[in-house]
Amino acid sequence: MQPTRTGAILGFALALAFLLAVGPAHAIIEGISGTNFAFSARAGTTSFPDGSTMPTWSFCQTGGDFQYPGPTLKLTAGQTVTITLKNELPPQAGNVSMVFPGHKVTATGGVGPPGHLVREAANGGGTVTYTFTVPHPGTYCYYSGTNMDVQIDMGLVGAMIVYPSTPGQAYDSADSAYDREYLFLETEMDPVIHQAMACAQAVTVDTTAFFPVYWHLNGRSAPDTMAMANADWLPAQPYNCWPQMEPGERMLMRIINMGRDTHPFHHHGNNATIIARDGRLLQSPGGTGADLAESDFTQTVACGSTQDAIFTWTGEGLGWDIYGHAPTDPTEPNEYTPDHGKPFPVTLPQEQELVFGGLYSGSPFLGAPGYLPPGEGGMNPYGGFAYMWHSHNEKEMTTNDIFPGGMMTNCIIQPPGTLPAP
Amino acid sequence: MFTAKKTVSRLVVACLALMPIVCADAAAADVYLRADVTTMTMHDGTQVTMWGFAKDSSFGAMDGTVTIPGPRIVVPPGDTVLNIHLDNNLTAAATGLSMGHPVSLVINGLTQKLTPVRHGAAPYPQYEGRIRSFNKEAAPGNASPVTFSWYDVEPGTYLYFSGTHPQFHVQMGLYGAVTKNFAAGQPYEGVFADREALVFYSEIDPLFHSMAASDNYGPGKAMSSTIDYAPKYFLVNGESGTTMNRVWTGAAGSVLIRFVNAGLMPKCPAMQEHYMEVVAEDGFAKNYPEARFSMVLEPLKTKDVIVTTAAPTEIDFYDRRGYVSIQATPSMGTVMLAQ
Repeated sequence: MQPTRTGAILGFALALAFLLAVGPAHAIIEGISGTNFAFSARAGTTSFPDGSTMPTWSFCQTGGDFQYPGPTLKLTAGQTVTITLKNELPPQAGNVSMVFPGHKVTATGGVGPPGHLVREAANGGGTVTYTFTVPHPGTYCYYSGTNMDVQIDMGLVGAMIVYPSTPGQAYDSADSAYDREYLFLETEMDPVIHQAMACAQAVTVDTTAFFPVYWHLNGRSAPDTMAMANADWLPAQPYNCWPQMEPGERMLMRIINMGRDTHPFHHHGNNATIIARDGRLLQSPGGTGADLAESDFTQTVACGSTQDAIFTWTGEGLGWDIYGHAPTDPTEPNEYTPDHGKPFPVTLPQEQELVFGGLYSGSPFLGAPGYLPPGEGGMNPYGGFAYMWHSHNEKEMTTNDIFPGGMMTNCIIQPPGTLPAP
Repeated sequence: MFTAKKTVSRLVVACLALMPIVCADAAAADVYLRADVTTMTMHDGTQVTMWGFAKDSSFGAMDGTVTIPGPRIVVPPGDTVLNIHLDNNLTAAATGLSMGHPVSLVINGLTQKLTPVRHGAAPYPQYEGRIRSFNKEAAPGNASPVTFSWYDVEPGTYLYFSGTHPQFHVQMGLYGAVTKNFAAGQPYEGVFADREALVFYSEIDPLFHSMAASDNYGPGKAMSSTIDYAPKYFLVNGESGTTMNRVWTGAAGSVLIRFVNAGLMPKCPAMQEHYMEVVAEDGFAKNYPEARFSMVLEPLKTKDVIVTTAAPTEIDFYDRRGYVSIQATPSMGTVMLAQ
């Protein structure tokens, strides 16, 4: 990577300057656990970095705050789960329901006229109860099975993660082991549908003309994706999406596409190994591990589908010692030793020749922040390496036509010892 | 329109043409398709002019019914040759267009030496030399069948469609499915299924159809491009207005569902309780099936999946992209019986 290119890439992050510099997240995938859940489908308001507020419908914990997307269910394989759904949506929403693809669900109560996918909670406070077991670990999802052309865009979606009994693994296979896990729940919004539904104009909205201009990860648009979880200025969008890891670790990417379009999610920095789709390990019949896993740098997930991938990073391939070691210096944990002591391959330009960004540490070396002019940088206090992770349908890196934004975040490779232990 | 005189001449030619074909290859599947005009009624009562295929008993018999999608062509196990004898009734009289429209046929995945047809000097000299058909054409009102032959038909699910002005003809409805099993109960070698069902997706932009039917589509006309394609009707096996669909397995066991997309937009067939074992794509069996509850089905794509159930079961599915016909109310459409 040439310094000037580094500067250009990181200069992009200059526009993110209003981000708060926050420490590494501790709860990496936020969510709720248990076996009995009381959910309400409610109307609320989300906000996005263009200053807009969006009428939104979402699944929430009954009595809890409105949140988008719905609560991430963190379950354990073998559990039997009961979810009672209450319909607190406005009259124009009609009925509502929840579907849990890949699971055999028993629905009791509610209403179930012919032509509907599942039993529904009737508008006006009706309830329906869904019971199902989660026999297999994996990444799953839930969403409304009612008027999906409207209700999915309005926000009625959520993630469901089923953990195996073995901690630190995504599946019952050792090669699904990970150090840190992150959720990437992809959605998009067409404000025309939201405004029509907010104004009770359901009869006139034409969902075949679907034209989204907002794109999200875990319910937020960049740069809000990189703000802390539960940020008090985003009361309806508690989940962030800011992957961070140390060299040599294995990061589990749980990608869920809850939108109506597919999104080519591109992760700079390295390929990832796709180990599972729809909660099933990519293995041959009788296989003992992810023997059909594939390596990719752009992951496009089918609508309503999930995908798990393992991302690793050591600095291999950069061509210089990322710590700036002298050849005689000791190595760092998980260092890519063939490059130990290799000098940075070009002469660094002077500061006046660089364009800075909020995530530039001032040097091309990991954990070694360098000189920055006053007012520059400041969002990368540990001197990590930042890789932009985003939908490579570049249009989707905007928030209602404002760049940068949308379905984008940065993965930060932090120096050894700076993140909480996995 | 079709005339009595032409009928006679067509019958004579058909008989003459048929004999050597039938005698030449006993293991060949011979199908008589006719491209013609019809009118479809959408779920909301809207009438849409369609061009589609009908399956006649012989050339010129005109005894088939135009359907959207076109008739499914089933090549028996063991047959390696498919002959489609094409009758083009997209005449000036039938279409309302000054010269009618030629039609050709292509089947992606089945090999055939294509003979593209280029525009001549008339009526659009500016387009002279540009390809308008991927394959040889049947002229409007052809007096004898134009036969398209494929000699290496492998087991699989395929899509046949007009290779002439495909941006026009495919929208208009000139498409259908071709299937072949390896053996009875065995769609591919080593892949077994007790029953099967076909799910065929397509779309309709009614504005385009009305412009085409009124001769307002083409160079210099009110609509000169299909770039603003905006479908309002999303068809499953030709049925509009469904928000979900159902296959009734009828018995315990395995059901092969053949998904075909003749639309211009990707679909994401998704199931609720069931996993689909994706056993084949584009007519090729996969070495290792993948278990999915949702998958992408791109335009022109075919994917075959197997769902196995321990009892007679309703398999519900829908396009998870959320595209349903305009003003559709909850409807599962016609239940497909696995056979």
